[in-house]
Amino acid sequence: MEGNIEQINLFLNFGLPFLILMIAYFFGSYIEKRHFRSIRKREAELLDFPVVSFDTMPDDWNVSRSDMVTGSIVISLDYFKRVIAGLRGLIGGRIKTYEPLLERARREALLRMSEEARTQGYDAIFNVRLETSRLANARRDGKGVAGVEMLAFGTAVKFASRFANSE
Amino acid sequence: MRFVAKRQKEGVNVSDTHPLVEASTLIVGLAAIFAIIAVALIFVVELALYFVSAEDEANLFGDWLPDDLITVAPNDERLYQTQLLVDRLASHWPGAPYTFRVEIDDSEIANAMALPGGLIIVTQGLLNQVESENELAFVLGHELGHFRNRDHIRALGRGIVLSMFFAVVTGNDAAGIGIKAADITLRGFSRRQETRADEFGLGLVHSEYGHVDESWRLFERWNIDGSSFLDLVTYLSTHPETGDRIADMKRHAELERWPVDGEITDLSW
Repeated sequence: MEGNIEQINLFLNFGLPFLILMIAYFFGSYIEKRHFRSIRKREAELLDFPVVSFDTMPDDWNVSRSDMVTGSIVISLDYFKRVIAGLRGLIGGRIKTYEPLLERARREALLRMSEEARTQGYDAIFNVRLETSRLANARRDGKGVAGVEMLAFGTAVKFASRFANSE
Repeated sequence: MRFVAKRQKEGVNVSDTHPLVEASTLIVGLAAIFAIIAVALIFVVELALYFVSAEDEANLFGDWLPDDLITVAPNDERLYQTQLLVDRLASHWPGAPYTFRVEIDDSEIANAMALPGGLIIVTQGLLNQVESENELAFVLGHELGHFRNRDHIRALGRGIVLSMFFAVVTGNDAAGIGIKAADITLRGFSRRQETRADEFGLGLVHSEYGHVDESWRLFERWNIDGSSFLDLVTYLSTHPETGDRIADMKRHAELERWPVDGEITDLSW
């Protein structure tokens, strides 16, 4: 019987956290891969849509109307990323598990902004900026991050005649 | 100005390392580091034991009691009898540097422990479960064995080591893996100490009664009887597995040619 107790103890101490970690990794990486596939596909569709970060409009843009457009995404960590980042936090260094997460957030926010602009009939966006904010605490003690918001915004413009001065 | 459509470059902001490689490197590495620190700290405790003699310790902790201890009434007959039994057993340990003091803890969970300065604490739960004086004598002899090997100070050192780890990684549930690695390393050390304490305790019991009968009967009961499961779990958390332990004790008694049959003394309360 005492052999069983030992095994149960071992399972509770190492097996269970490992199992949860693996399940979290499995779901997390599946969702991440799917998201990246969707991002690449939609970026390819928007390839001819100019999104630039100039803060003044290029001289040769002849514009008939303009508006501010925004795109934002709120994205959360999975348990696997959180645990591995926690271990990284003990010794320092690049938090490699967070990098693809924020990459997804940036590109998704830009995509949503561009899609919004195109839906409203605009031809391009300039003065594009990215903002990020920590959304909320995952725990009551004020520690832990529930998620981050990535916000992309810029000035969408409709050309009177496309690239009038250069063509 | 002409707009030329370009695909976004990938991989600049994202590391190439596979997440599982990153995870295993961190987990294995940190577990190893924690285990090494734990071993290093054990040697520090050994060093301290070398410089602080048992006599110094006895002087320092002579009348110390843990703050959270809830004892039974001081005129309890069991307290008097247990103290008497400890004194009889200790008389077979010539030159013992401690004056042993017995306290009975109010707890219903069976356990016994050795604390700095020669303090032995047995729980009411244990006294309720022992059926003969011989059974109790072995448990007390085992604790005296801890004093002889000064394991009680080592245990204290281990406690400090573990709480240091907890302090370092507080608020970081991931680092619990490291704490467990340290804990398991420490437990490996403590098993050997338990075996040595068993052998010393058995020797005292033999000197007192002329035989070692019923020394391990309590553990045999726990091994078979599932009703005291809770007691078993608690006792196991600080002592080795009972099955191995009984076998070790039998082997030791045989080696020393100590009779395993003899007259059993009843409890005097």
